[in-house]
Amino acid sequence: MKILIAEDELALQQSIKVYLEHDGNVCEIASDFHEAQEKVDLYDYDVLILDINLETGSGLEVLRTLKKNNKKVGVVIISANSSLEDKLEGLDLGADDYITKPFHLAELNSRIKAVLRRGKFGGNDTIIFNEIRIDTRSRTAYVNDKPITLTRKEYDLLLFFISNQGRVLSKEIIAEHLWGDNSDLLDNFDFIYVHINNLRKKMKDTGTRYIKTAYGSGYKFMAE
Amino acid sequence: MMNIILLVLTAIALFIYTRVLLDDETEEELYSQVAFYEQHIQKGNSPISISPIIDIKIVATKTPTVLKDTMMYDARQKEIELYREISRTIKSSDRYYQIKIRTLIIESEDIFIGIIISFISVLLIAFVILFFINKSRNEKLWAPFFTSLNKLKSFSLESREPIIFESSNIEEFNDLNNRLNALISKINTDYSNLKQFTEDVSHEAQTPLAIMQAKIENIINKSDISDIQYEEFTSIQKDVKRLTQLNKRLIILAKIDNDQFSKPKTIDLKQLITERVEDFEDISENSFQIDHNSKTTIKMDPYLAEVLINNLLTNAIKYSPSKSTIHIKVDGAMVQVANSGAKMISNPDRLFERFYKENSNKKATGLGLSIVSKICSYYGFTCSYRFNEIGKQHVFQIDFI
Repeated sequence: MKILIAEDELALQQSIKVYLEHDGNVCEIASDFHEAQEKVDLYDYDVLILDINLETGSGLEVLRTLKKNNKKVGVVIISANSSLEDKLEGLDLGADDYITKPFHLAELNSRIKAVLRRGKFGGNDTIIFNEIRIDTRSRTAYVNDKPITLTRKEYDLLLFFISNQGRVLSKEIIAEHLWGDNSDLLDNFDFIYVHINNLRKKMKDTGTRYIKTAYGSGYKFMAE
Repeated sequence: MMNIILLVLTAIALFIYTRVLLDDETEEELYSQVAFYEQHIQKGNSPISISPIIDIKIVATKTPTVLKDTMMYDARQKEIELYREISRTIKSSDRYYQIKIRTLIIESEDIFIGIIISFISVLLIAFVILFFINKSRNEKLWAPFFTSLNKLKSFSLESREPIIFESSNIEEFNDLNNRLNALISKINTDYSNLKQFTEDVSHEAQTPLAIMQAKIENIINKSDISDIQYEEFTSIQKDVKRLTQLNKRLIILAKIDNDQFSKPKTIDLKQLITERVEDFEDISENSFQIDHNSKTTIKMDPYLAEVLINNLLTNAIKYSPSKSTIHIKVDGAMVQVANSGAKMISNPDRLFERFYKENSNKKATGLGLSIVSKICSYYGFTCSYRFNEIGKQHVFQIDFI
């Protein structure tokens, strides 16, 4: 995948780049508004990660340019502003998702993958990982072509794992993905442990094989 | 004090003057009456005595004219009265007649009482008149002051109506009003700067927090860290999360202050609560019981409505014993959230203050309930807390009036 990261905060820009390149994506960067405008004009990307408050101009302006040129790019807005108006305006202008700073890179990554999956970019509704197959349209998972019954959270969890395969996911990251802001209500992360355990059981030995424990308390989804 | 001394001296002087005047007058009258009787006798008329006023008798020798006071019994009034008496001897037809004329004296006591009564009456009348004159004059004079005072009383930082103190033609009040105008405009500017500052700081903090979080994730994905280091990093993740939550809440407070939620919609309270409770049931060991007697709709910003219900529920979950039941009641224009607790909280009046925490062990931001209270005051709702002793429950209630 070819990704453009338009973010004027260099440290954040580099961190996103490092994380996404790990998956074999090609990441280009734009550090200000003009660079972003120029790059989306000249080249084609699969995904644009766009900061709204670019130092020299508004990211929303970049969106307008994209729309005008009729370019098919999946856009994920990252913004320090959580206001609903900004979000709605961004989505109105053709952005596919909106994520508020600070965010987890794993979360950003799974959002990017979701954007790519959506049909309008000729994406695929089906995710395949060895013997696991997930139909994202019907929200069903199959192991060796046999459907497994997952709760909503277990399904979300599996999708999150596969989207971030090979990555260490701490319980904090998983909790926030599953419960958002409400995750700070958790006194401990036993809830996550329960969900992961159930998921492992339902997937039988496939689950235990791929969902691994990392550093004692984190998780990592990977093929052997 | 001076006035009283002056008044007493005047009364004394008046008393002496009246006394002297009356004495003179009495004497003059006695002399003229004596002369009248003398003439009467000289003409050869027989003298008539009318006791005790006129007393004429024949005496052997001539005595000089005497003027004196004398006490005599008055049979009519049945008391001894003080009389002034003149006695003179005249010669007529070789006989000496002694003429005694008496007249009643007005007693000093009576004069004194008279003076005092008239003085007191005058004083009372003067006092009443002056009181009303002063009152009406003062009212007029102080009117600009009271206008300013009333404006000052209605002043509120939250209010977006500016207060202007009108100029007055009294220099001191004008000066006061000018000072107040300057002071209030300074307070308003400072307050709005402070609000802006809170929002700016919170927004500015988001990016560094995002960098910290991103870097931690990249570090834990490198395989060369130890389990202990991993624990440290995830612990930083938790703290970043706390700061993020704090920021979000401060931003909400600042936005309400800055009037940035002005898109009210009609919200079905029961539906909203049911949705929120479904979310919470997933991560809470508590159970929830919703009672709704009527369909309640409120008109407010949908985001704030969600924040309001979320914060009430979050508060209940955080402070209730695990596996207890949280009761939610919707009735008319009222919602109640009740959670179990052993005893009433120690500072109920501080409960809705920013950063007030009843229990310091909890990792709470201390802003949840102050946001509830802020949203309520923004829309004119009432939020209250009470402890139900019988049911051992903390009850938070919001009246949407």
